[in-house]
Amino acid sequence: MIGLPANRLFCLVLLFLFVPAAVCGAPVTRTLSTAEPGAGEVFEVSLSIDGIALGGVVETLPAGYAFAGTDHPDDRVLVRGQKIGFTVMDDTAITYSVTAPASGSGDIAGTWEDFLGETDGEVAASHVAVDGIETAAESGGEKPAAQEAAPQFAVVAAAAALLIAGWGGRR
Amino acid sequence: MNRWYLLALLLVLAVPASAAEGIPGDADADGTLTRAEYASAALAYLDAAYMNGAGELDRDGIRDAAWVYARWDGKPREVVDSTGRTVTLYRPLRRVVTFSGESLETLRSLGFDMDKIIAVDKYSHEKSIFFPECREKVNVGSIWSPDMEKVLSVRPDTVILYATISTAACDDIQKRLEASSPGIRVLRFDCFKPATYAGEIRTIASIIDETERGEEFASFYGSTMDRIRDGTAGIPDDEKTRVYFEYWFDYTTVAASAGYNEKTELAGGKNPFAVGTTEYPVVDPEAIIVADPQVVVKLAGQGLAIGGYAGHDPAALAAIRSALFERPGWSRISAVKDDRVHVIHSDILGGAQHFIGTAYLAKWFYPDRFADLDPHAVHQRYLTEFQGIDFDLASQGTFAYP
Repeated sequence: MIGLPANRLFCLVLLFLFVPAAVCGAPVTRTLSTAEPGAGEVFEVSLSIDGIALGGVVETLPAGYAFAGTDHPDDRVLVRGQKIGFTVMDDTAITYSVTAPASGSGDIAGTWEDFLGETDGEVAASHVAVDGIETAAESGGEKPAAQEAAPQFAVVAAAAALLIAGWGGRR
Repeated sequence: MNRWYLLALLLVLAVPASAAEGIPGDADADGTLTRAEYASAALAYLDAAYMNGAGELDRDGIRDAAWVYARWDGKPREVVDSTGRTVTLYRPLRRVVTFSGESLETLRSLGFDMDKIIAVDKYSHEKSIFFPECREKVNVGSIWSPDMEKVLSVRPDTVILYATISTAACDDIQKRLEASSPGIRVLRFDCFKPATYAGEIRTIASIIDETERGEEFASFYGSTMDRIRDGTAGIPDDEKTRVYFEYWFDYTTVAASAGYNEKTELAGGKNPFAVGTTEYPVVDPEAIIVADPQVVVKLAGQGLAIGGYAGHDPAALAAIRSALFERPGWSRISAVKDDRVHVIHSDILGGAQHFIGTAYLAKWFYPDRFADLDPHAVHQRYLTEFQGIDFDLASQGTFAYP
């Protein structure tokens, strides 16, 4: 550890701890146009798909939230209650719309399968809450908000660590 | 439970797993899985698997459909095995039983997912150093004594047998499988013959959709064999190196019909005993002295269980060689006088690795012509690059001496 300041080392440790958790992982990731829609507002859910030639994604919406449409071809979409199934055929993105209820919060959960790669996994849950208001009944048993914020926190922490590391180096 | 009832029950259980003819998801059964059919099948699968709906295909079914759609252009794949029989594949290989260690080894060379090998022959099962992943697999016996109950109990979709050796035994297994479970695909390959191995590599690679890897491996194999063929081409018959090749047992040699003779001749050797119909004839000790071989090759292996992958014991091979020097009258043989007596293990001469052993033979027969050929390096590359096993020839195994 020649000439490596302690604060810089600490920041690098932070970087190694958080960046892999934030950037590595599932071939399917989800982003929301908003995590705090207004009552009855239609918001967009985008699934980014990396490396699945033939497979499928099944999304599960929280109670009260309703599927409102998608840009995915009709013959490759199936809606059954709160679940929406999409077949993946060389797609890199799927976007669908959801109508928020008058109130309520919960997680959008997802599962993916890569039929050719013979692998499967979960799409990290995305938390939504009408007007940002948590409703205990609907989010009961789901992951705490702090845990949901982990990916965003990881990115912020990593960026901060990089900045501080650079600062430490200059000193 | 009565043994016959048990077998009958196994037959009934085995059929549904394997007998499904036709491409999974091919709704109109016209022999082509179209984009729309595949999409519909995939959606039905997701519905059944995750959405409390109904669908015909299970997870293996949709994975097979995806394979056929993506890799076989939605059509069945027809392959011609080494018996000349055309086999139509509607699904990829998923649950394979192999009675041939050579085919098993070739599948591994081609990067086949060894988890999909669900049972192996007893010899491969015993080779725990070379086939460590087979230790826990089901042992189905040998082609001469197959355990058909076990074969059926593992519900294979494919069984691999030899093509041109032990044909009666392999024919019998095939007939029993076809009679009981017509959906089980029987494929027959040798994977040990220089004349056909390169073609078999490509055919098997095509079956498992590893054509690029197949070309790479066939090229690696072919480069060694071509080097040997080119190096011995044009040597007049009367200038070829006279070789006495001794089988595992003393004074037992190999005749024209034996595979070891083929490799001896490929390496440019002239076998004075390559006559007659017996594969492994016993020779008169005096006849060997009269033939005056320039090189003597002694085979170690199953009948002379020393060395190979199972043991690092150069001293044992050296002892075998020393014993040859002590044989009555052998001091008059050119090979002994010129110190050209060698021991080779059947692991690298008798099966899929015959190209490695043949390279050793060529180098022993014509050291000048093959000065740049390094069989040891070829062997290590094969193990590391194609077999993918952690085996260091510097400290493990004994295959050739000196």
